[in-house]
Amino acid sequence: MLRNASRLHACLNGSTSPIASTGCLQEGLVAVRHQATQAATPPKDAKPQKTKFGPLKDQDRIFTNLYGRHDWKLKGAMARGDWYKTKEILLKGHEWILSEVKKSGLRGRGGAGFPSGMKWSFMNKPSDGRPKYLVVNADEGEPGTCKDREIMRHDPHKLVEGCLIAGRAMHARAAYIYIRGEFYNEAVNLQIAVNEAYKAGLIGENACGSGYDFDVFVFRGAGAYICGEETALIESLEGKQGKPRLKPPFPADIGVFGCPTTVANVETVAVAPAICRRGGDWFHSFGRERNSGTKLFCISGHVNTPVTVEEEMSIPLKELIERHAGGVIGGWDNLLGIIPGGSSVPVLPKSICETVLMDFDALQAVQSGLGTAAIIVMNKQADIIKCIARLSEFYKHESCGQCTPCREGCGWLNKIMWRFVEGNARPEEIDMIWELSKQIEGHTICALGDAAAWPVQGLIRHFRPVIEERMAQFAAKNKKTASEKKGTDRVAIAQ
Amino acid sequence: MFHPGGVHGARHIAQSLHHVKNAIRGTCSSKLLMQQKAAAAVAVESKKGTVTPPPTGPAPTAPAAPNSVEVYIDDKMVMVEPGTTVLQAAALAGVEIPRFCYHDRLSIAGNCRMCLVEVEKSVKPVASCAMPVMKGMRVKTNSPMTRKAREGVMEFLLMNHPLDCPICDQGGECDLQDQSMMFGSDRSRFTDIKFDGKRAVEDKNIGPLIKTIMNRCIHCTRCIRFGSEVAGVDDLGTTGRGNEMQVGTYVEKLFASELSGNVIDLCPVGALTSKPYAFTYRPWELRKHESVDVMDGLGSAILVNSRGGEIIRILPRVHEGINEEWISDKTRFVYDGLKRQRLTQPMLKNSQGLLEPVDWEDALSGIAARINRVPGQEMAALVGGLCDVEALTALKDLMNRLGCETLCTEESFPMNAAGTDLRSNYLLNTKITGVEEADLVLLIGTNIRFEAPVLNARIRKAYLHNNLRIASIGERVDLRYETDFLGDSVHVLAQLADGDHKYSEILSKAKKPMIIVGSSSLQHGDGTAVLANAIVLADSLRSKMSSNGDESDWKVLNVLHRHANQVGALDLGYKAGPSAIKQMQPKVLFMMGADDGVVQRRDLAGDAFVIYQGHHGDKGAEMADAVLPGAAYTEKYATYVNTEGRAQRGNVAVTPPGMAREDWKILRALSEFVRGSSVLPYDSLDEVRKRLAEIAPHLTRYGQVEDANYFRQSKDLVWNAARPGHSGQTLPAQQRELEDFYMTNTISRASRTMAKCVTAARHQKSTRYGL
Amino acid sequence: MSLIQKTLNLFRAIKQNGGILSSLKTLYVTDDLKWGTHVGTDKYGNKYYENNYYFLSRNRWVIYNPDFHLDYDGSQIPPEWHMWMHYTTDKPPTVKPPVNYKWMVPHQENKSGSSEMYYPYSTTRTKIESWQPAHLRTADTEEQNPKLFNIPQNNRIGVQ
Repeated sequence: MLRNASRLHACLNGSTSPIASTGCLQEGLVAVRHQATQAATPPKDAKPQKTKFGPLKDQDRIFTNLYGRHDWKLKGAMARGDWYKTKEILLKGHEWILSEVKKSGLRGRGGAGFPSGMKWSFMNKPSDGRPKYLVVNADEGEPGTCKDREIMRHDPHKLVEGCLIAGRAMHARAAYIYIRGEFYNEAVNLQIAVNEAYKAGLIGENACGSGYDFDVFVFRGAGAYICGEETALIESLEGKQGKPRLKPPFPADIGVFGCPTTVANVETVAVAPAICRRGGDWFHSFGRERNSGTKLFCISGHVNTPVTVEEEMSIPLKELIERHAGGVIGGWDNLLGIIPGGSSVPVLPKSICETVLMDFDALQAVQSGLGTAAIIVMNKQADIIKCIARLSEFYKHESCGQCTPCREGCGWLNKIMWRFVEGNARPEEIDMIWELSKQIEGHTICALGDAAAWPVQGLIRHFRPVIEERMAQFAAKNKKTASEKKGTDRVAIAQ
Repeated sequence: MFHPGGVHGARHIAQSLHHVKNAIRGTCSSKLLMQQKAAAAVAVESKKGTVTPPPTGPAPTAPAAPNSVEVYIDDKMVMVEPGTTVLQAAALAGVEIPRFCYHDRLSIAGNCRMCLVEVEKSVKPVASCAMPVMKGMRVKTNSPMTRKAREGVMEFLLMNHPLDCPICDQGGECDLQDQSMMFGSDRSRFTDIKFDGKRAVEDKNIGPLIKTIMNRCIHCTRCIRFGSEVAGVDDLGTTGRGNEMQVGTYVEKLFASELSGNVIDLCPVGALTSKPYAFTYRPWELRKHESVDVMDGLGSAILVNSRGGEIIRILPRVHEGINEEWISDKTRFVYDGLKRQRLTQPMLKNSQGLLEPVDWEDALSGIAARINRVPGQEMAALVGGLCDVEALTALKDLMNRLGCETLCTEESFPMNAAGTDLRSNYLLNTKITGVEEADLVLLIGTNIRFEAPVLNARIRKAYLHNNLRIASIGERVDLRYETDFLGDSVHVLAQLADGDHKYSEILSKAKKPMIIVGSSSLQHGDGTAVLANAIVLADSLRSKMSSNGDESDWKVLNVLHRHANQVGALDLGYKAGPSAIKQMQPKVLFMMGADDGVVQRRDLAGDAFVIYQGHHGDKGAEMADAVLPGAAYTEKYATYVNTEGRAQRGNVAVTPPGMAREDWKILRALSEFVRGSSVLPYDSLDEVRKRLAEIAPHLTRYGQVEDANYFRQSKDLVWNAARPGHSGQTLPAQQRELEDFYMTNTISRASRTMAKCVTAARHQKSTRYGL
Repeated sequence: MSLIQKTLNLFRAIKQNGGILSSLKTLYVTDDLKWGTHVGTDKYGNKYYENNYYFLSRNRWVIYNPDFHLDYDGSQIPPEWHMWMHYTTDKPPTVKPPVNYKWMVPHQENKSGSSEMYYPYSTTRTKIESWQPAHLRTADTEEQNPKLFNIPQNNRIGVQ
C-alpha cells in the first residue's frame, strides 16, 4: 500500500514521469550489465541473462506485514502463512534445509554478504559434546538502517520461525536473539512472539511436534554499536565488555560460552522459512547471479518519502529511489551523492548513482558496498563534508578502544574531518587523511576500523574538489590575518 | 563497561581460551605452553638443521619432528609444531617481530597490532602473535606491506603518547622508545597537535608501590591480564571505550596483590613505574648484579641494581625452575630496608651495662674474654633464616672447636621419628616445577599465597591451564583460586592418612598428587602430628601410584619453608628449633641473624653473655651484650639453599656499611682471639667453599637440586614411633591477610616502603570495597 | 700643610687622648692617633668621632669601649651607628634617633671564632641509618616521631 502511495508521490512530485524514468533506466541498465559481466561474473553463454530487476510483485513479497497494517501476533502471522507446515520442513532434515538455502543463493543480510548456506554448513562438523548455538544479530545500529526493527516489531514470528529452521539446519540447541537495547518495543513484541510460540508448542521441547528441542532466548544489549560485530556480540552475550575477539578461532569453532556458534542477521534468518516453503529456486529467480533474492531496502535522507521496502536484488538504485521513496527532494538533478549501504560504505556521486544496480557485486565494482542496503540520499543542500565528518564522529564514539589503529585512528580522522568542514587545513592533509584511513583499514581486529575509514575514503575519492574549495575559501577569509601573523595554523585557533 | 571477573570468571576465560588454543591447534594437549617451550628448545638446539636457506636446490632434508609443519619466514624454512604462532615461528627463525601486547606468559590479546606481518595470499596483514601457522605459510617480516603496517601502528601509538621521555622513568628501557627508533617513521605529521593536543588521562593512585602516569598508557592490557591471570586479582580493568578507554581500578583503590610490582616490568611504556625508584637514576647508569632473593624460601633469581654504594632497585631474573620471571613485592621493594636500622659498628656493653660503639679489636677481644671463661658445654648458638651457608659453616666450625654442640635454628621442625635426619623430610621434593605436572595439590597449614607468592602464582597457572585441583587443610585463607577446603585441623589429615575421609578416594585417584606442608604449621603444637600424618599419607599415595604401575619416581611429600636458608642450616646439621637452648640455659649465647625473638633473656642463665651478629638492629641486637655488624644478602658472596634443596649463589652488589663485614670473616677473625687452637682453617672465600664441599658436596653444586629419596624409611620410622597425638586446634595461618605479608623478617621490618604497604593494605581493608 | 700644623694636630691628639701615656696606649690598641669631635657614644660604650681635617673615609672613626681592649671587632658597632660610620647618612643617631620597631632583634656582634660561633649542619640524610642502642636513641625514628618523617596518618592509600 505504502509502496503504491510512494509511487503516486513520485508521479505527483517527481520531475520525470515514472514511464520516462523507466525508459532512461533501461539504457543505464544495459551499460551496467556490460560492466558487471565484464568485471564481476564470467560470461555464461548457456544461461539466458535476466536483464530487468524489480519491481517486485506483491505475491513475491516475504515480509507481508512490513508496515504493521495487520496483526503481528501469532494468529495474524499464521494467517499470513507463517508456521505453515513447519514440522514437515523440520522433518525433511538439516541436509534438505541446507541444500535449499544453498540453492537459493542467499547471502548474509548483515552487511558482509557471506553465502549463508555455506556458513550454516560449517556447523555440521561431528559434535564433540559441546552444544551448538544460533545467535541472531538483532543489534541493528548502523546509521540509516532500519530493516530488522521492522521485522521484529511487525513480523516477529518470521524471525522466531526462522530461528527454528536455521537452528535445525545447524543442529543448534538454542537461539539467542541479541536485540539492541534501544529497541524496547521491538524487544517486547519479540518476547511476546517467543512466548506465544512456546505456548503453542512451536518451539521449546519437541518443537512443532518434530521431536526436536529448540529454545529461543531474547537478550537485550546495552547500546553499543560494536556489539553488532559478531564476536563482540558473543562477548557481550557472555556478560563481558563488548570487544571483538581475535579470529581465528572463528565462532563456528569457539563461539558463545565456548561452543560452536553461528551468528546471523535477523533478515537472513527471517527469510529462511520462506525459502524452505517456496523453494530455493524461487528465491534464486530474483536478482543477478550470485546476488539473488529479495531484500529490504531502507531509504532515508533527502527523499520525499523515506521508506523501508522489500525489493528484488539488483534493482537499479535510481529506480528504487524514484519508485519507492518519491524521488530526491528537489528532483534527481538535485542529487549530490548517495551512501548505498549504511554509514560504513563509501559515498557514491550522482554520476555513478544514475546507473548502478543495488547488489553486492555491482556496488563493489564501483568501490562501495551493499552493506545493509540502507540508502542515505544527500541532495545538493547537504554539506557532504559535514555529513561524513558526522559519520567519523560516530565511529570515533563507537570504537571499542581495544586495538590501536581504530582507537587512535578514528579519533584522529574525526579531528581532521571537522577541520575540513571549516576548511581549516592544508590541501596536503587530504592526502595525509587518505593515508591514515589506509593505515586503519585492514589493520584492526574487527571491521569497525574499515567502516570508519571507508566513508572518508569515499569522500576524498569523489569530492576532493569540494574539500579543496572549502580550504581555499577559508584561507581567503583569513588571508589578511594570516599575512600579518606567521603560520596559518595559529590563526585557525583564533578563528 | 567495567568487568569484574572473579576467580570463576578468570578460570572460565582461561579454559575457553584453552579450548581456543586446542581447537586451532587440533591437539588435546593440556600442557601447551610447556610443549611449545620444549619444542622451541629442541628447535633452537637443532637450529642449524632446521633453518635452511631458500629452497632453491633439492628439497631440504631437515630432521623434522613428527607432525611438524614447514613455514617460511622471509624465505627461510623453519619446522614448527602445528599450533605455534607466526610470531613464535619467526623467533625460531631468528626474526624478532615487534610487539607490545604480546607476552610469553600471558594470554594473547592481539590488540596492539604492532606485530602485523604480511602473509602470502592474505589480502590484509595478519597479527602474528595470534595467528597459528599453517603448512607452507610464507611470512614476510620485512616487506613493504609489513613495514607500512608497523609504521602506521607506531604513528597511531605515538599520536597520543606524551613526549615526556626526558622525565620518564622508563626512558632507556622503554619498548615504545626502542621500537619507534627501529620501526617508526622519522618524522611526525601529527598536525592536530596545533589544534587539540594529545589525550590527557588522570593518573590513578593504585598504591604505594606503583606510580601511574596514565597519559603514557598505550592500552596493551598486559597489566590487566597479569592481574587476572597470574596474580588472580581482578582489580585492574578497562573503563570507557574508544579513545576514552582507560586502564584502572574504576573506583580508586589499592592494586591489592603481593605480586603487583611485576606490572612495572610488564608495562612496555612508562605508564606504570616504580614509586620508590621514581626519578632516581637512568637504567644505564646502574650496575647490575645477579643475585638470589632471601625474602622467602624459594630463592627467586633477582638482579640487584646499584649505584654509588646504594641499592637502587631490584628486578627479577628469568629462572624457569623457580620464579619464571615474577618476583613478589617484598622481594622487589624491600631494598630500602637495607638502608635503615643497620648495625654499622661493633658494640660492647660498658661497665654501666650500656652498649657502646667500639673498635673491632676491642669487640673481638672483649667477646673472646667472656667466651674463654665458659666451657663449651655451656655455650649455644642460635641462627636465623637469613644466614648464608658460609657463615653457618664458620659458626659451626668455631663453636665445635670450642666444644659447643648446641647449634640451633630459630625455626622449629618436628624431631620425632626421622626428624631432620632424612633430608627428604624437609624438602620440597617434587620441586617447584612439579606443580605443573601435578594434578592435585594438598596444602596443609600454609597460606602459600603470602609464604611463597611466586609458587602460588605457579599453582594458579596450573589451576587455570592444567585443571589442577587444590585441596587445603588449615585456617581458611584466600589463595585467589578455588580450593577444596577439607578442614582446619590435623584431625582431617589424620583421617586422610588412615584413608577414612570422604576425600581419600579423590586423593587416591590422583595420578600425580602433591602434599605441601607449610613450615608455619610445624611451629604449632600439633606440628609433630602434622608431619607424621603427612608422611604416612604421602607414602600411601606413593604406594598406590606404584601399584597402579606408575614407574615415575614421583615424590609426593613437600615441605615449604618460609626462610631463605632454613634448608641450608638443616643440611649443615643445625638442630631445628630453640628447645635445646631453652633446656640447657647457656651461659654464652651466640646469635647470628636470630631476630624472631624465639629465645628471650629469661631462657638463659642469669649472667649469660649474649653475642649478636647480624645486619639489622632488631630483637636480637636489643638483647645482646655484644654486637657484631655483619653483611646483608646484597653485600656478600653467599650461598643459600632454597626449599627445594637447590644451592644458589648471591653476589655482592654493594659493600657492607660502615664497619660491617662479611659474616664468615667476622667469625674467622673471632677465632683468632678465642682460646686454644680454634683458628678456623680458611682465609678466603674459595677455601670456605672448599670446606662446604667437604661437609656437603651439594652446597657447591650451584643451581642443581639435590634429590632426597628416603620416604619409605621415614615412614617406617614414623610407623615404629608412637603415632603423635594432636590437640585438634586450627592450624593457624601466620600471614593471614595482605597486610601480614609485607613485614616478615628483619629487613622488611626496617623498610619504610613495606610500612607504607601495610598502611595501604590496612586502609584498603577498612574501605567499603575491601581488599 | 705645614709642619707646624702637623705638630699642632699631634699635640691636640695627645691632649684629647689624655696625655702621652694614654696616647701611647691608644696607639697600641688602634694603631692610630687622631683628634676630633666626639659625636656620640652607643649603648655599648663605643665612642664615635669626626674630624673633617682628615680625608674622607678616615674622617669618622670609633674608639671601642676600652673593656674590649684588643678584642674589638667591626660587628660591635650597632646598625644605627654603622650607617653613619659608612656614610649612608650624615646624621648620626644622636641627631636623628633610630625608630625602634618591636620586630627588631637586639644587635649582636659576630660570634665567629668564639665558643658561641654558629655551626652549619648537613641537611642531607646519610645513606645508611645506623641502629642505635636504646639509651643512645633520639626521637628521630619514624615510630617515635612520625611527624618528622612527614608520613600522613590518615592518607588515602598510604602514599603520597
